[in-house]
Amino acid sequence: MRNKNFLLIVPAIAVFSLLFVLPFIYFFLISLWKIKFFKLVRDFNLVNYDKAIFNYVEIFINTYSVSIPVAIITTVIGFYYSYLARFKTGKFGSLMIFIALVTLFGGYLMKIYAWKTILGNEGIINSILMYFSIIKEPLSFLLYTKQGLVITFVHFLLPFSILPTYASLRGVNEIEIDSMKDLGAKFYHVHFMLFFQRCRAGVLASFVFCLLITSGDYITPYLIGGKITFIGNMIAPKFGQFYDWPGGSAMSFTMLTISILIIILTSYLFKLTDPK
Amino acid sequence: MIIDKFISRIFALILSFFLISPILLVVLFAFTDRALATFPINSFSLKWWVEIFNHRQFASCFFNSVTIGLSVAFVSAITGTMAAIGLSKLPAKTASITLAVISIPIMLPPLVLGIALLSFYVSIGMKLGLHTVIISHLLFTQPFVILVVYARMITFDYSVIDSARDLGASPLKAFLTITMPIIQPVVIGAALLAVALSVDDFIITFFTIGAGNTLPTLVFGMMRTSLRPSVNAIGTIILLMTISSSIIALWITRYRG
Repeated sequence: MRNKNFLLIVPAIAVFSLLFVLPFIYFFLISLWKIKFFKLVRDFNLVNYDKAIFNYVEIFINTYSVSIPVAIITTVIGFYYSYLARFKTGKFGSLMIFIALVTLFGGYLMKIYAWKTILGNEGIINSILMYFSIIKEPLSFLLYTKQGLVITFVHFLLPFSILPTYASLRGVNEIEIDSMKDLGAKFYHVHFMLFFQRCRAGVLASFVFCLLITSGDYITPYLIGGKITFIGNMIAPKFGQFYDWPGGSAMSFTMLTISILIIILTSYLFKLTDPK
Repeated sequence: MIIDKFISRIFALILSFFLISPILLVVLFAFTDRALATFPINSFSLKWWVEIFNHRQFASCFFNSVTIGLSVAFVSAITGTMAAIGLSKLPAKTASITLAVISIPIMLPPLVLGIALLSFYVSIGMKLGLHTVIISHLLFTQPFVILVVYARMITFDYSVIDSARDLGASPLKAFLTITMPIIQPVVIGAALLAVALSVDDFIITFFTIGAGNTLPTLVFGMMRTSLRPSVNAIGTIILLMTISSSIIALWITRYRG
């Protein structure tokens, strides 16, 4: 019986191993190889990592100075949004969740493009403000700035943060809240001890997901970031017009390692808020 | 107390507006007649739609997107449903660990997945094309299918299967006449989610398709060169495909996160 159940999982595991595990091991090996006369040479060395770490310090700082705030802001707003949808807005709450679901599937590229048309000098915000003569010159701090990048990323990632947190908040029932209040719990106790503690896993997952996706993105900085480039903008061309797979691979693994270190540090700090 | 409620409502409205308005604007500006997406809107027109439908590459891109989306949905519905049924019979802890591992590709930046797959395909001498895009998309659609179907399977009443087996049905017959009709809506819903995810994907498609184009890669090419509203028209088509399939999916599966 057990063997038969295992057989059912085999195709899924096969897809996962053949298309993820195997390519990833190979991709890691590439980072240790070299390019000579436009050919991969299997010659083990760490030169690529040396370059990836020391030649792109400024770009790594750029990347994480946007993605850490994005991960924090998205997680906080996502938690607040699902809290509002669950406890504060009655019937409107299910509409709020529906809106989150629609934006989840609402086109990755089109969302970035929409923000470009919203934030630009001749964009929607500026054209409205100028039409009503609130401003004379277009506001230039919107597009091609860090603020613009943060807004676009937060908008894109919010549904991914809202839906899991909402799922855990749905498990909190009114009786628990009322009994806490009857026993003399303050606002702080109900909100921090009950709601936040219930969503711990969801909140941490949201931070992890937002950090990994933001730090590895290159389309948003390309279209919205102007002069601000992410490490992804350096990696992508190495697999296109500049043939340098080992370099690109080493940069990818450096990026993933930095992200994972930040995640480990965050989950350690997060543990300190656990009352147990 | 009333003030608290009032403030909550205001914030709920602002945040909902923030989420939905960019998507509504894309659709709105696909129907205006000016070349720039700015207010005030003078008049509405369908000229960007005409421009798109006359676009040399539009038909082939649309065809490619649909082919990829449907193939991905078909394959991931099969592998995903099988895995979900298998997992639902295993201890909950084993199942959740397996699920978490299979979901790793969703957590990784699509760029890293895309270039890892590209270098792998090229190195093993595989020609790039629609087929490489299809197998690559399986990586991130399959976990969603497993999650959705698994959520249904853990509440599945296996006693009906047992009675069918006691009455002499073969395992295959029991599956085809009992399990399948019961879980069919969930499987279709999960497949539609896979369509939505696949049609929307840009980065992985971009690296694994080789020379062809899909709707998102066509849109990206247009975005780099201009801010013409015809981009909005294709965007609206992509949105229609992804949002309608996901809304139908959520409706039939009743899956909520």
